[in-house]
Amino acid sequence: MKDEMILQVQNLHKSFGDHEVLKDINLDVHKGEVLSIIGASGSGKSTLLRNINLLEQPTGGDILFHNQSILSDDFDVTLYRAKVGMVFQSFNLFANLDVLQNVMVGQTTVLKRNPDEAKDHAMELLERVGMAPYVNAKPSQLSGGQQQRVAIARAEAMDPEVLLFDEPTSALDPEMVDEVLNTMSKLAHTGLTMIIVTHEMQFARDVSDIVCFMNDGILAESGTPEQIFEHPQEARTQEFLKRYLSRV
Amino acid sequence: MSHLFRKFWAVFAVLGLGFGLAGMLATPTQAASKDNGEFKVGMEAGYAPFNWTQNDSSNGAVKIQGSSEYANGYDVQIAKRIAKALGKTPVVVKTDWDGLPPALTSGKIDAIIAGMSPTPERRKTIDFTNTYYVSNMTIVVRKDGKYANATSLKDFKGAKITGQLSTSDYDAISQIKGVIKEPAMNNFPAMRAAIESGTIDGYASEVPEGSSAEAANPNLKMIHFAKGQGFKTNPDESDLAIGVRKGYEYKAKINEVLAGISQKERTQIMNEAVANQPSTGNTGNWFVSLMQQYGGMLLRGVGMTILLAVVGTLVGFLIGLFVGIIRTIPRPRSTGKRGLLRLFDWLLAVYIEVFRGTPMIVQAAVLYYGSAQALHLSIDRTAAALIIVSINTGAYISEIIRGGITSVDAGQFEAANALGMTHFQMMRKVILPQAVRNSLPAVTNEFIVNIKDTSVLSVISVSELFFSGETIAGQNFQFFHTYLVISGIYLIMTFTISRAFRLIEKHMDGPKNYNVMNNQMQVETPRIGGAPRKDAE
Ligand SMILES: Nc1ncnc2c1ncn2[C@@H]1O[C@H](COP(=O)(O)OP(=O)(O)OP(=O)(O)O)[C@@H](O)[C@H]1O
Ligand SMILES: [Mg+2]
Repeated sequence: MKDEMILQVQNLHKSFGDHEVLKDINLDVHKGEVLSIIGASGSGKSTLLRNINLLEQPTGGDILFHNQSILSDDFDVTLYRAKVGMVFQSFNLFANLDVLQNVMVGQTTVLKRNPDEAKDHAMELLERVGMAPYVNAKPSQLSGGQQQRVAIARAEAMDPEVLLFDEPTSALDPEMVDEVLNTMSKLAHTGLTMIIVTHEMQFARDVSDIVCFMNDGILAESGTPEQIFEHPQEARTQEFLKRYLSRV
Repeated sequence: MSHLFRKFWAVFAVLGLGFGLAGMLATPTQAASKDNGEFKVGMEAGYAPFNWTQNDSSNGAVKIQGSSEYANGYDVQIAKRIAKALGKTPVVVKTDWDGLPPALTSGKIDAIIAGMSPTPERRKTIDFTNTYYVSNMTIVVRKDGKYANATSLKDFKGAKITGQLSTSDYDAISQIKGVIKEPAMNNFPAMRAAIESGTIDGYASEVPEGSSAEAANPNLKMIHFAKGQGFKTNPDESDLAIGVRKGYEYKAKINEVLAGISQKERTQIMNEAVANQPSTGNTGNWFVSLMQQYGGMLLRGVGMTILLAVVGTLVGFLIGLFVGIIRTIPRPRSTGKRGLLRLFDWLLAVYIEVFRGTPMIVQAAVLYYGSAQALHLSIDRTAAALIIVSINTGAYISEIIRGGITSVDAGQFEAANALGMTHFQMMRKVILPQAVRNSLPAVTNEFIVNIKDTSVLSVISVSELFFSGETIAGQNFQFFHTYLVISGIYLIMTFTISRAFRLIEKHMDGPKNYNVMNNQMQVETPRIGGAPRKDAE
């Protein structure tokens, strides 16, 4: 399908003390791919994302970005992080800055864009997520769904090559989930590479090129949405989906 | 064990830091006290009639170094005679009693002429000339009190008596059988106030001090002991002599000068001193007359206090930010940098522990006198005071800021990292603005503490507000009134600061509401974290 490889996770291990959370993870991400990770709570999904952008230090294995190890001593971590954005479950907008500044600050400090250029870019993205009227608001003055849309604009503003989403809708009230999922669907259609950890099965099915099922620290099964949702091979996957889909 | 070890490091580091800074700021002055034509005399300038402070040069007063005020009194007149014989200009260096010996040994002054007795204890560190005033002790009591008619030490059985700290007068109280020896006090105005308030029955002092007290305050009376019924004094313990450095080249010459001043002349000088000492001038409204007479001195004191507190808090705040940034740097990947960072962290931890763990008064004395004594560096005392307040405040604010940083949500750090910000960018744009806001009430507190606690810097004779108050009370003997005014001024300053910072907090929190912008053309390019806005071409 799409052949240029952006990220390769190879035999990744992560332990906290003697608690092994990630046990030999292998994952290839191609350019333009939308990859969803589903799985039970505590299976290590967040830990995997946090290792990928080095918020956690892997304890074994390797991660390659454009065929370069991100774990080598001379690798420029800050530059890498600018290219691999992240959207958090708890939004994490900068509390001291207003909406516009939140979307500008990465551009001006990390990418050294001049403020007017950064502002124009920010306004364009805020417009797209429907948050342009709220440029003057502080994060604490917004609803969760609004905050998450700003957070997505903030990550987008860096013109990243890959965006990581860690359960971006889990902290939202049901009526706000859709506005955020719509925003993400639009993004998925722009050709951006995305890795999405989610419990929204319908969404995963609709937007993903690949779905991975994670179970107890390993990627138990992966394939196209049809393969995973229609014809899961693994008993664990079937079990999980049965429990999950019957609930919805 | 580890306690001792800590202590050792503390002392070591105080000295190290002190000297390090002193070295940066000071001009080496081996010749500071050598032949530059000045005869520098240390005294409290607050022990009338021996020495006091006045506003003009009347009655042959001598200028006080680094001040617009003058000193006069018996000691000053003796100093002038000696300086003349040495062919030098007399200069008075106003110094707290406890600061006198270190000022002498460190070369800040050439001689102590301050009503000091040549006790064996003092002789261990400094040398003394022959007597320049023969002691005659008395006890000052309330005129209408129980002990007013005493004529013998025996009459003071059961009386509560005190004296000045580290003087032979105080030691001599033990000669009274059955006396209740109260803890020693720092200065005579305080003792006079204590008598008036009834907390003590009397204090032991030299006769001239007693006559001054009588003259200044009609409620006080000096006891005239019957022959042989008073204090037995040991010339070594209670006669007054001039303190000089060991091996001082002019000691013999000074003794020669002293020998040339007859007993009659000495009495004459003392009588003049008693007559010339500043009077209470108790006419009209006490507040108005206090302000008229000492308004300038108070204002200068306020100025110095504000300077110390503002500079100290500001520089301390910058130190705090710096330390906060350094101590939160994530562990670098390379081992070399990691080792360096760990060393730096350790040094900062030592700095904080040392300066929080020792009194500021000690730090000031170590820096100011220690640097002069051990390294022959002479630091301006205002500079020394500014350095100490800044470093001391920095240690406290570092911990405050650290607390402020810790209280910022972990998600803020992660989001900044995920954007690719460096540690310094993250600190400047995201974390510190929030940490500073969180810390502001505690920083305000430090500011207020600085306004008040810089009063301990009188140990190195910095004329801040409290030191001015001591001087004024030493002259007008209106202990209560003077300190009432002083506390009023302190209160005004601290209240103003706490209100001003409340406003700053409000300003930092920004508006409670926001405008929904329906027209995007209204939106201006904002500035983030004080970064200058680049002009668009
Ligand atoms: N910093 C940490 N220290 C110790 N254990 C941790 C740490 N972070 C995560 N874990 C453990 O790792 C395991 C996986 O956690 P993780 O957050 O990755 O799960 P998850 O799949 O994202 O779950 P959820 O769907 O609930 O978000 C859990 O057992 C958790 O307790
Ligand atoms: Mg998770």
